Amino acid sequence: MSEERRIGVYVCHCGGNISDYVDVAQVIGAVEDEPGVVVARAAMFTCSDATQQEIIDDIREQELDGMVVASCSPSLHTETFREVARRAGLNPYEYTQVNIREQCSWAHTDDREGATRKAIRLVRAGIARTRLSAPLEPVTVETVPKTLVVGGGVAGLRAAFGLAEIGLEVFLVEREAELGGQVGNLGAIYPHGNDGRALIARLTRAVGERPNITVFTRAELVEKSGSFGNYQATVRVGGEPGERIQIDVGSIVVATGFDSYEPEAGELGYGIEGVLTLPEFEQLLNQDGALTFNGKPVESIAYVYCVGSRQPGGHEYCSRYCCSTAVHDSLRVAEHSPDVRQYHLHRDMRTYGKNELLYSESRERGSLYIRFADGEPPAVEKLPDGRLRVTVRDLLTEGEELAIESDLLVLVTGMVPRQNEELTGVLKLPVGKDGFFNEIHPKLRPVETVVDGVLIAGACQGPKSASESVTSALAAVSQSAAILKKGSAELDPLVATVDPEKCSWCGTCQEACPYDAIGRLALNGKQVAAVEAAVCKGCGGCVPVCAEEAIDLQGYTDAQVRAMIDGLLQEVAR
Amino acid sequence: MTTLVNSRLVDELGRAHEFNAAACMDCGVCSAVCPLEIELLPRRLFRHVLLGMEERLVEETETIYSCLLCGLCEESCPGGVHITENVRALRHFLNTNAVGGAR
Repeated sequence: MSEERRIGVYVCHCGGNISDYVDVAQVIGAVEDEPGVVVARAAMFTCSDATQQEIIDDIREQELDGMVVASCSPSLHTETFREVARRAGLNPYEYTQVNIREQCSWAHTDDREGATRKAIRLVRAGIARTRLSAPLEPVTVETVPKTLVVGGGVAGLRAAFGLAEIGLEVFLVEREAELGGQVGNLGAIYPHGNDGRALIARLTRAVGERPNITVFTRAELVEKSGSFGNYQATVRVGGEPGERIQIDVGSIVVATGFDSYEPEAGELGYGIEGVLTLPEFEQLLNQDGALTFNGKPVESIAYVYCVGSRQPGGHEYCSRYCCSTAVHDSLRVAEHSPDVRQYHLHRDMRTYGKNELLYSESRERGSLYIRFADGEPPAVEKLPDGRLRVTVRDLLTEGEELAIESDLLVLVTGMVPRQNEELTGVLKLPVGKDGFFNEIHPKLRPVETVVDGVLIAGACQGPKSASESVTSALAAVSQSAAILKKGSAELDPLVATVDPEKCSWCGTCQEACPYDAIGRLALNGKQVAAVEAAVCKGCGGCVPVCAEEAIDLQGYTDAQVRAMIDGLLQEVAR
Repeated sequence: MTTLVNSRLVDELGRAHEFNAAACMDCGVCSAVCPLEIELLPRRLFRHVLLGMEERLVEETETIYSCLLCGLCEESCPGGVHITENVRALRHFLNTNAVGGAR
C-alpha cells in the first residue's frame, strides 16, 4: 500500500529559526527517497501565501494524496495547512505536521548535527504516519437552540436576556428564592452610583417580559448528560427532594458568582462591635441621611484594605473590585456626612482605569491614605469608650507608628470562590488553583471551558466588578450563538472507534474514559463497546487498556503509531 | 513612640487658610527640584500636617522659614498641590498659634 501513496514533504527554514541549526538540505536528502514520497522541497516560510499556493499546485499537478510539513508546533499551524489541503481538494486529515522548530532547532542550539539527525527522524515518522492516513469526515451534530443559565445574579440575568434577544430559548435556574444575586442587595455602586437594587429590578422585569425565558427559583442543576449541542439537564426545583424537571439544551452558561471573604474570628479585630466587612458596611450605607451605627452618629471610619486578598498562602489574587468599592463608599459617606473623618489603611490602592478619579476625589474630600507594609497588618483594639483604636506603621512617614481612633473599622474584604462542589461535579468543570472556574484561554477564549458548550460568565471565573460580569455574560451569549444559531456543528473526527469483531465487552475502556463517551451496544448477539463520537475527545485513554486491541484512535491508529516508531528508529547516515 | 492621628491641625489650617494637601501623593518631585535642596519641604511636612503631628511642625519651624517661596516645586507638582500657599499657611499658623509661641 505504501508504494501507492503520493506524499508531498515540505521542510521549512522558518527564516533561519530552523535553518540556523538544522541543515534543511540534508533533511530533504534523507527523506526524499522514503517510500511514497513524490515531492520533497524546502521553503523559507512554508506558511507564506506564496508557498501555500505552491503546495496547492503540487497537490493538484502531482495528484498528491498525502502531505507533510516539517516546521513549527502543530498548535500554531495544523489548521493553516489543513486549510491548504482543503483548498487543493485533499482531505485535511491526510496531512501531518512535524515540529522541527520547538523540538529541534530551538531546543538544540548547541548541537547542529544532532538537531539535524533528530529532524530527519521526526520527518520520517511523519511520513510513516501519513503513509497510513485515511480521509476522515467531521462528525456533524445537530444542536438544540436552547440554553440553560445557572445563576440569576447580574451576569446570569443579563446573559438570559441577551440569549432571548437573539432568539434562543432560555431556562434560568436560581438557587435562592429570589433573583438578583449579590448586586441585588447593593445600594449605589461605582463608578456612577447606580443603585444595584434598581439595576436588578430592571433586569428582572426585562427577563420576566420575555416569553422565551423560563425562570426556576429555589432550583439547582443536579444532572447533565448528552453531548455537544444536545445536553439533557435535570433541574431540581423547590429543594430536597423537590420536583425534577428534564430540559434539553444546546449550551449551558454558568454564572454562579462568588462568596464574600469571611474574616476569621479575631482577624483584624473581627468580632469586635464596630468592625464590619465590606458587605456589612454597604448594608449600613443603605440607611437614609447622616451615618449612624447602633443609633449613634458615626464621626470617624477607618478602612483596612486587602482583607482576604493578596495573602501569601491564602487567597493570593487581587479581588479587583474592593478598592474601588471602598473608595466609592467613602465618597457616599462624605456626601451625606462631610465631617466624618475617613482613614484608609492600604498596601497599594488599585482603583484601576477610570476609578482612579474616585480615588482622587476621595483625597480631595479629605480622606487620608496611610500605606502599611506587606506582612505588617494594623492592630485593632477596643477602647473603654467603645471606640476602636487601630495602630499601623505608616510607610509614607518613614515608618512612623500611628494610632487612629475611630467609630467604625471597615475590613475591605475580597471575593472568594463559591463553595459549589455539587455543580462542579455535575458539569465536570475545571477549577483553577485559586478555586474559581477556568477558561480555555484567558485572552482568546475567555468564556469557554474545556467542556464543549459549557460557558462561564461573571465572578464564578474570578473576581469581577458588576460591569465586567455583564461583559463576560454577553461574551457567553455570543459564544452560545456561535454554537447554536447554525443549527449544527462540526466536530473533529479524531475519535476512538471500536472493532466489534474483536471487542468482547469487558468494560475496561468505559472505566478509562474521562468523558463518559463509551457505552454498551448489543450487536450480532453479543455485547460490544460503542463510542459516542460527539462526546469523545480523542484523548486515547481507552486504546492501551483494551486487552483485545479492539479500539483504535482515528488519525493515530496503532498501525500508524508503530510505523512512526519504526520511522524514528531508522538509521540516519552520518 | 506612637502618634495619635489628630485632624484638628488640618481642620484649623484648612478653615483659616485653605491649606490643602489632599492631592499630595508623596512622590518627592518637590524635594527633587528644590533649589535650596530643602529635603523636608514640602512633602513630609504636609504629611505631618495631615496626620496632626503639631509638635513636629514646631520643630520644623526653621526649615519652614528657609523656603524661598520660589514656586518651582509647585510648577513641577504632578498632583497640582498649591505648595507655596500651603507654606504661607504654615508660617501664619506658627506665628499665631500658642504652641509655636517659643519662637
